This record gives sequence, C-alpha cells and structure tokens, in this order.
Amino acid sequence: MALYQNIGVYLFLSVLLLACGVAGLVFRRTLIGMLISVELILNGAGLNLMTLNRFVSPEGVSGQVFTLFVMGVAASETAVALGIIILLFRRLRRIEGDTLRELRG
Amino acid sequence: MSLGELIFLVVCAVVVVGALGTIFANSLIYALLFLVLVMFGISGLYIYLGSPFVAMMQILIYIGAVAVLVAFAIMLAGPFYKRPTERGPFFRGATGVGVSALALIITFKVLKGAFGGGEEAPELYGRTRLLGRAIMDRFPLPFELISLLIVSSIIGAILLALLSRQQPPKEE
Repeated sequence: MALYQNIGVYLFLSVLLLACGVAGLVFRRTLIGMLISVELILNGAGLNLMTLNRFVSPEGVSGQVFTLFVMGVAASETAVALGIIILLFRRLRRIEGDTLRELRG
Repeated sequence: MSLGELIFLVVCAVVVVGALGTIFANSLIYALLFLVLVMFGISGLYIYLGSPFVAMMQILIYIGAVAVLVAFAIMLAGPFYKRPTERGPFFRGATGVGVSALALIITFKVLKGAFGGGEEAPELYGRTRLLGRAIMDRFPLPFELISLLIVSSIIGAILLALLSRQQPPKEE
C-alpha cells in the first residue's frame, strides 16, 4: 500500500497543524502572530475535512464543499481582524494582546 | 519507492517544516513566509487526496488573499524598532509540552483505528463536476451566505479603516 493512501499520515499532519496553531495562539503576544496561528488551525481543519471525505465517504463531496466554505470564512475573518488590528495600532501604537484592557471589568 | 511516494514525502516534510517554522520564527514576516510554505504543502496534499480544484482554491484564496492581507498588516502595523517582547523560554517550554501531550493523545486515538485507519484508499472520486453540482444543488443557501459574509466583512473592514482615520491616536 502506497504511503499516500494511508489515512494516518494525513490525520497526523492535521493534528500537527492543530498543535502548532494552538501553541502559537498561546505564546505569541502580538495580534498578528495570533492571527497567523489561527490560519494554521484553519488549514489543519480543512485538511481534516478533505481527508475524512476521501477515506470515509468517498462517494460524496460534502467535505470538499465544507473546505471551500472554511476558506471563505477564513478570508473574511482575516479581513475584519486586520481592520481591527490596524485600528488598534493607530490608536494605541501597540499590537500586543496584553495591552487591550479597556473592556476588563 | 515510487516517484509518487517520494513527492508525497517531500510534501509532508514541507508541511512539517513550515508548521514548526511558523511557531518558532522570531520575526513575524518569517512566520508568515513559513505559513505560505505550509499552505503550498497542504495544496499538494489536496492533489494527493484527489481534488485539484480545492488545491487551486487553496493557493488562490489562502496564499493569494489571506497571506497578502497579513503581509500588508505586518507592514502597516509593525514598527520593528519597537518590537514586542516575546514570552520567555519557560512559558514556551510549558506550552510545547502541553500541546505535544494533546497531539499525542489525538495521534494515539487515530493509531488505535478510530477512523478505520490503514485501509486501502477507495478509488478516486474527486471530479470537479461533482463538486460544482454539490454546491449548486445541495448547498445553494450556504454558498450565497458565504458571499454575503464576505461582502459584509469587506464593508466592515472599510468602515474600520475609515473610523481609525478620523480619530487621532491616543496620547500616552
């Protein structure tokens, strides 16, 4: 059996992407770094959907459709997040997540 | 080992190296470049999964739109002489151990065959015609909602940019 027909490889790669994304989300301090980590997580989710579509229900294409939707949501999320980040940078001159305390009770 | 397996190994190595580099790069722009590497690798994996259309969409949307947007944000919001201090090595180590434990748990779940792993892959089914039919026949409402979401997010981003232009920065 060829290596690329093994479901475990794809799932392992998607777990690796999820783990790296969560780690970056925890220890990056700038908002842009956290956004890059979120992109890693979304990529891992897309890979997971495509893999399970290919190996578990190969007659349907729902996983591919969901992956396309995830891409659309990721693009719009990035646009809004970058607008917010640039607004915060113009106001506060900093982009660390720790400095955003105005809403803290 | 056939040529296909060799290329597959290279693609997997690209994804692994890119994911680790995204985490461990010190500069944000290097992290972004490693992220682009990951996206290219994942697009190669999509081709191996039998759907070249989604692979092309991955390159178009993620690399063409998302990565370029993030690059603009780094350029607009990054005075690099005021680089923020990253967290210390102890925090990074603790995070790495915790996340590795999480990944190992999930990996053992997979290796124990929670998804019927190890079976021969079924025949290739990925035809773009099926994908288009599925979008237009079975998921027309989510498709339209996605376009509505993207339009509203573009308008929101423009509004945010206008809003930040009118108010002067807060003095510190």
